[in-house]
Amino acid sequence: MSYFFQLVVSGIVVGSIYALSALGFVLIYKSSRVLNLAHGQIIASGAFITYALTVWVGIPIVISFLLSMGITFFLAMSVERVFLRRLIGEPIISVIMVTIGLMSIIDGLIYMTPFGAGNFSFPEFLPKTPVALWGVSISWTQLVGVIITFIMIGGFTWFFKASTVGISMRAVSDDQFASMSIGISVPKVFGLAWAAAGLSAAAAGGILGNITGLNFYVLHSFGIIVFPVVIVGGLDSIFGAVVAGIIMGLIQQFAAGYLDGNWGLYGTADVLPYIILLIILLFKPHGLFGIHEIERV
Amino acid sequence: MKNKQITIMLVALSFLLILGFSTQVLAGETYKMGMSVDITGATSDIGNPYSKGAEDYVKYVNDEKLLGNDKLVLFIRDDAYKTETTKRNFEDFLDEDIVLYQNYSTGSTLALRQDFDEEKIPTITASFHAGNLENCNYLFLPIASYSSQAVGLAEYVVANHKGSNKIKVAMFLHPSAFGRGPLGDVKKAIDIGLPIELVEVVEHGKDLDNTAMLKRFQSKGVQYVISQTVQPPVATMLKGAQSLGMAASTYGEAGKITFLGCHYAGGPDLIGLAGSAAEGFYWTTSYKLMTAKGPGTDAQLALAKRYGRDDKLANSQNYTNGIMVIQVAVEAIRRVKAKSIKVNRANLFEELQAMNGYNAFYPLTTVGPVSFSKTDREGVDTLQLYVAKGGVFHELGAPFVSEYVQKLKK
Amino acid sequence: MSENRWLATGNFFTSYKAEQRIFQTHIDRLVFIGLLVLMFVWPLIFAVSNKYMLVIDSILIAIVAVYGLNLLTGFAGLISIGHAAFVGVGAYTLATFARLLGSNHVLLTHYWPLMIVLAGIVGAIIGGIVGLPSLRLKHLYLVIATLSFQMIFQWVINFSKFYDQGQSIAIGRVFWFTGKVARKQHYFLWYYVILVVVIILGFAVRNLLRSKHGRCLVAVRDNDRAADAMGMHPGFTKVYAFALAGFFAGVAGALHAYLWRGVGFESFMLHHSISYLAMAIVGGLGTLVGSIVGPVAILMLELQVESLSEFVGHYFTSIGDVATALRPLSFGLVIVLFLMFEPRGIANWWRIVRSYFKLWPFRY
Repeated sequence: MSYFFQLVVSGIVVGSIYALSALGFVLIYKSSRVLNLAHGQIIASGAFITYALTVWVGIPIVISFLLSMGITFFLAMSVERVFLRRLIGEPIISVIMVTIGLMSIIDGLIYMTPFGAGNFSFPEFLPKTPVALWGVSISWTQLVGVIITFIMIGGFTWFFKASTVGISMRAVSDDQFASMSIGISVPKVFGLAWAAAGLSAAAAGGILGNITGLNFYVLHSFGIIVFPVVIVGGLDSIFGAVVAGIIMGLIQQFAAGYLDGNWGLYGTADVLPYIILLIILLFKPHGLFGIHEIERV
Repeated sequence: MKNKQITIMLVALSFLLILGFSTQVLAGETYKMGMSVDITGATSDIGNPYSKGAEDYVKYVNDEKLLGNDKLVLFIRDDAYKTETTKRNFEDFLDEDIVLYQNYSTGSTLALRQDFDEEKIPTITASFHAGNLENCNYLFLPIASYSSQAVGLAEYVVANHKGSNKIKVAMFLHPSAFGRGPLGDVKKAIDIGLPIELVEVVEHGKDLDNTAMLKRFQSKGVQYVISQTVQPPVATMLKGAQSLGMAASTYGEAGKITFLGCHYAGGPDLIGLAGSAAEGFYWTTSYKLMTAKGPGTDAQLALAKRYGRDDKLANSQNYTNGIMVIQVAVEAIRRVKAKSIKVNRANLFEELQAMNGYNAFYPLTTVGPVSFSKTDREGVDTLQLYVAKGGVFHELGAPFVSEYVQKLKK
Repeated sequence: MSENRWLATGNFFTSYKAEQRIFQTHIDRLVFIGLLVLMFVWPLIFAVSNKYMLVIDSILIAIVAVYGLNLLTGFAGLISIGHAAFVGVGAYTLATFARLLGSNHVLLTHYWPLMIVLAGIVGAIIGGIVGLPSLRLKHLYLVIATLSFQMIFQWVINFSKFYDQGQSIAIGRVFWFTGKVARKQHYFLWYYVILVVVIILGFAVRNLLRSKHGRCLVAVRDNDRAADAMGMHPGFTKVYAFALAGFFAGVAGALHAYLWRGVGFESFMLHHSISYLAMAIVGGLGTLVGSIVGPVAILMLELQVESLSEFVGHYFTSIGDVATALRPLSFGLVIVLFLMFEPRGIANWWRIVRSYFKLWPFRY
């Protein structure tokens, strides 16, 4: 039975990290209806910036973690300004392909740094003993990761609910023309959405880097791994991302824990999210918490 | 008048001819080799230093005139871990008339092996997958195959296990031909009497958390995990085990798990990725590491310094790997030359196959001699065990040869 | 319609039939026939190295695949990032036979034209099945559904014993009338085979678009409710678009398997899907010319960048990583720049050049 609880706890831990990574997609989609496929690359850059600041510059890791969030904030904002601003109003495929192009461009830029072909790991600053409760263990790295995740998600939820800027972002996502007419600068909102996504990406990168070590390939492929989470949650719901993240985390843990190795099945944790995604989409075409636009032909 | 003109022309012509011949003699011959390697793809962290090692050693051979006046040309192409690009590179190299080919990934080696046989071109591959050699006569693995490595590790486990309980082992594999390769041979070794119990075989995915798996191992009494994969998943697993307090602090500690791994699962880069979690990781390869001082390692560091490489690269075992495959190729060329026969594919192939017994080749970068024969095209059979202590891999014990692999080969 | 069918300086159509002609003028037709003759004759005149023959062959295969993707994404407006998986379905149809009957079975080596068509049909069936979610999903959600198919395909191949867990499955050398095709003629034979396939399917696409079956794709893309009101069945049309794309991809997959003499799942991964999409976009979505120039442009670019980065790597060894960065950088920049400055793709340049010659000596 403790094995079962272990799977549950691990699932929730992994799921909340998924949720944090998915947050970046949601923030951008929520205001500008763009699915940013290059998010994995931004996550990787965030992790590398944190490492560079900590190890090469020598800033304490907590401060460099915050600093890198600031840097990716402006980085993502400028990405939006340079590449995406021109494409407002273009068909959806153009926008998707631009973010795919961005993926390659950022890949190229990272290959120019030592991170492209080397492996690194953050200096260790957390206790190495696990936190054990009733036969269930969780490592400090994961615990801190989960705490940061929930702080970030709580913060963004509050931001969208209560702050003026957040409300204007919601207004833009609802109706661009109407919000323009009441004096909201739509381009500025888009830029801010990207910036916020960049910020959350750096946080995700920092946490992921602590868990897996810094390997570019592993970090950027994470952008693709969280797709099912984003879609199942519904592209525009932060709450959806959290729920879907935890659902997916649990499914993966149970798949890896109970399915793999039996009946000749392996690697089910990698494919099951996509199968579940398809099934959920058949019944709820806009994800679990996405805004409904009825489509039936 | 006319005769004089003709004479002058003849003289000039013969002069030109002599000049032409003499410059040709001075310039020597050019031997071309091709190498397709992943520099920008999924395994760039391995392929990049590998290609640099090969590149530097070829420069060294030419600068130091190790082949006399003859020149060695190595075409290095990036295949980004894609089979199509590899095949294109290979066709390109064939058009360039190469005498020897170096391949990289397991997938492309398996896809192209029929071409190697058709073209009768000796090929050295960076993939040490034993299955490569099936149905293909022209492939050479520079060092012991993954199977030999995994079985060798299992033997080490048996030899050094304390306590009388049944030895329970799990394997942690990459979900591909590369990862699954050794599984069959480990099972065969168990069938012919290797006293371990293979409790579980895990093909890892892109997991962020191995807690459940590790807990399961522990509850099943697994004491040893043998990994055959690349470094990132191993690092994630080690970090998980460390933070859960499951990693054995001494070898074979009861109730804890000791981690072991084959060539690509470990190495200095693993420490880079896993930090202190890599402490106590047992790793096997046929290459000499920079921590073990010796003529080979000194030479490697000097080589890296000479061509302006940084410390990280100079200390990478994949840099050694790249140097070593070129060493083998150069040695084969040198031997063919010594017999004063033409350096071509067929002669090189014969020479590589004759590289055994007294003729075995000691490249200094490996822990044992390179020996190929008609029936055995795995190069260095000897393995060295390393253990991570204090942030570096240290040699542990003397180089060894896996007994059960020898039995299986018979 | 001007009676002079050699030169036309404007649109003088008097009937729909005239507008729908494949070749507007005789000059168009002459140029086209000249081009065809050139394509058939040049390998006989110039000796091309195997490498370039392989490159050209794979460009032609990509053209076949992009025909399908362009029908689906360009004409029917359904974005798919699982196209490589459809190509994989075609290739694995052959692999199935190879595994069941042996890679040198008569069916594979002698009846290969049949196998190519069969692979196309299997591709179409799977395409139709994968297209079913398009009945309920739209836009991004549909994109992700195709992504799911890609992922599921990769998983199935990678973990099934029958397909040797994604390892390369050999396909034997085929026979021509003169006997077994040896290594030297391999790329040569397949150049002609694929060229013929490209031409036949090119005409098929062109003719499809002249018929109501093609126009309904465009109608559904532009407004499916309006199309519904005009008596088309949008749901059926979408599934049918997927099946069409699957057919083209399946044929491309079979050709791929024969050309490379083996099927390994590493050739049908997500990044292949992405580069098919890039080809369609750079070529020009929703144009037939685009499906042809797109693959040429992207694959040639890749080749050029490869040699450039090799050159850079030779001369600037200290910054070797710049060399490795060039390929992703150029690929990304080409896509982004095209989308930002020429969203209609290279096909639009073609249109501009054509209209220049058509109007010459006048400017408009």
